Amino acid sequence: MSDLAEFSLGKSIKPKGSVQTLGIIGCGSVGQVITRVVAQYGMDVIFLDVSNERIKEIFEEINQQLDNVIKHWGITHSEKKLILSHIKGTTHIEDLKDCDMVIETISSRQKGTLLSLRQELFQEVESVVSKDTIISSDLSTLIISDLARGLKHPKRAIGIHFIEPIDKTNIVEVVKGRDTSDDTYEKVVRFVKTINKKPILINESPGNISTRMLIPLINEACEILMEGVASVPDIDETMKETTGYIYGPFEIADKIGLDKILKYMDNLYQEYGDKKYKASPIIKRLVRANYLGRQTKKGFYNYEQEGKPIGNTISCAIIK
Amino acid sequence: MKIIILNCGSSSIKFQLFDMPKRKVLAKGLVDKIGLSGSAIKIQRDTDAKENRIEGEVLDHEQGIEYLLGILISKEYGCISDLEEINAVGHRVVHGAEEFSGSVLLTKNVIKAIEKASELAPLHNPPNLKGIYAMQNLLPNIPQVGVFDTAFHQTMPEHVYLYGIPYILYEKYKVRRYGFHGTSHRYVSKKACEVLNMKYSETKIISCHLGNGASVAAIKNGKSYDTSMGMTPTEGLIMGTRTGDIDPGALLFIAEKEKTSIHYTNTLINKFSGMLGVSGVSSDMRNIETAAEQEGNKRAKTALQMFAYRVKKYIGAYAAAMNGVDILIFTGGIGENDVETRRNILSNFSYLGIELDESKMQERGKVTILSTKNSKIKVLVIPTNEELIIAEDTYKLVPK
Repeated sequence: MSDLAEFSLGKSIKPKGSVQTLGIIGCGSVGQVITRVVAQYGMDVIFLDVSNERIKEIFEEINQQLDNVIKHWGITHSEKKLILSHIKGTTHIEDLKDCDMVIETISSRQKGTLLSLRQELFQEVESVVSKDTIISSDLSTLIISDLARGLKHPKRAIGIHFIEPIDKTNIVEVVKGRDTSDDTYEKVVRFVKTINKKPILINESPGNISTRMLIPLINEACEILMEGVASVPDIDETMKETTGYIYGPFEIADKIGLDKILKYMDNLYQEYGDKKYKASPIIKRLVRANYLGRQTKKGFYNYEQEGKPIGNTISCAIIK
Repeated sequence: MKIIILNCGSSSIKFQLFDMPKRKVLAKGLVDKIGLSGSAIKIQRDTDAKENRIEGEVLDHEQGIEYLLGILISKEYGCISDLEEINAVGHRVVHGAEEFSGSVLLTKNVIKAIEKASELAPLHNPPNLKGIYAMQNLLPNIPQVGVFDTAFHQTMPEHVYLYGIPYILYEKYKVRRYGFHGTSHRYVSKKACEVLNMKYSETKIISCHLGNGASVAAIKNGKSYDTSMGMTPTEGLIMGTRTGDIDPGALLFIAEKEKTSIHYTNTLINKFSGMLGVSGVSSDMRNIETAAEQEGNKRAKTALQMFAYRVKKYIGAYAAAMNGVDILIFTGGIGENDVETRRNILSNFSYLGIELDESKMQERGKVTILSTKNSKIKVLVIPTNEELIIAEDTYKLVPK
């Protein structure tokens, strides 16, 4: 059978290198949303995870999320079918070889493995993909240049930070490292625009814009709570009403995961040494008690079913 | 003269190559899944028994059109020997805003105006423009023509096209009714007058374009006087998946209750509603009719009644608006082929003086006069052909 390229007239601008197949490594809650958002825009997504059982679970979770979107009139049943047809799961990293771009979204929750694990992963990805494939990390407090250190071609490494709630937020932070090439950056910018989001250019710095602004806000909200000034829902409601945020500081902390928030706080505090990033004792206490937010059904709020808060878990002496 | 017609969507391009003025289609097909995996070009020449499919990566509209031109001059699938044989390009452009009341040669200023109108049709005009830019690059010396869906309805009077909202919103954002399917309404209404040997400029016509998207137009003395679609194609008739007319208060109520965003509400009214939403069966009339007749599905029956009722209501309204009607036309997939739906719409119109010729009521897909000789109003089926109209307009406008 003929291929279309045989009919080229040599007139149009040659392939500009769009992302048509995306690899996702570690398809947890963040990876899943990226997967379905990207698949929704017609690109193929291959996600890599630890076992076939986990792959099955991930498909069930994505299936459920899509059903929930349908329930709220976001997409139709046939669109769901189409989205799912673009998604594949694998346990073999070699299956990512044809990807135009690979994003690692492995959990930030594992202790002490953050940098080294990701560095190794980047090198492993580089050993299977083509020379043009972009290697990226959904990072917020890590530095892309650190992750790319062991790469043969660090110019292909770039940070891409999807901000919670990923499917509703219109922007994506695109983080240029020391060696990131302009080609890599432009390709990622086109990718971000293809999924109908606006790229925000970041010159690498821990926390980018979003996390660096969010962490002090959550810490301050904890201070207000500890001082007995106001309750969890009232602090959230006040912030939402006065700033137009979709979520209040406690709600977003629960949504991101308090263990992840704690990790961000530690990383930022270590980097900048500024007290405003130092983890609040409340966050530490909740994480120790395994009150990690929505994922464990308890955080600043109690979550019953469908992730809806049914009441706050923390009250202080003054606020009952 | 060979004219290529392009209808560019967000990820596909429909095309036809015409030999004009012979009105002969030399080749037609589709550039499919642009920028997506599984992209291909499907092409069928007038000499081919079946469609050919050529697969490969198509990254953008320009590349797709370049490959298409390459295919048209190829030995294997082509039908011309040189690109210089192509004399003009005709583009379907969805929205011409208030700027265009007819088809025009695409000049720098015209393209600028189409770019500006993208605000009113953010899903449709940008891909139309991609096709225009691509042709400018690929065949820079060939004239291009834009044929607008909205143009025919630009003759609607102010009291018809304005909404009952603060006038300043019309002034600021041009929020008003524009109407669509204009090329089709124009073609079938003219054709009906030719068939009946009546003077287009002295005739009152109601044209029902009934397909998955559907609209009715009132055409008075050769000019569009009113049409059921509005600022967007969602207004008017109940369609395959669109609501048609709905109290905006009901939408606010639903959005509040269901906590839906603007985007989700848009999906709700354009993809979940209409015949699909009411019947719960399908957006396709044939499936709904099967469910209603063979399975006794009550909601399917209701949906069919609602569809016919809404069309009937518009016909009555437009007869009143024009102080009478001479010709009633059915076109579009449903209008041309769905005998039952046509019959339901046409029931109880004796007060207008419609008399139907029962022997013709089963006819499908061809020019047919459904009414009797004595019928006060002539009822016709006229198959639409939007590509041909674009080719004709292009032929008329390009310098010979």
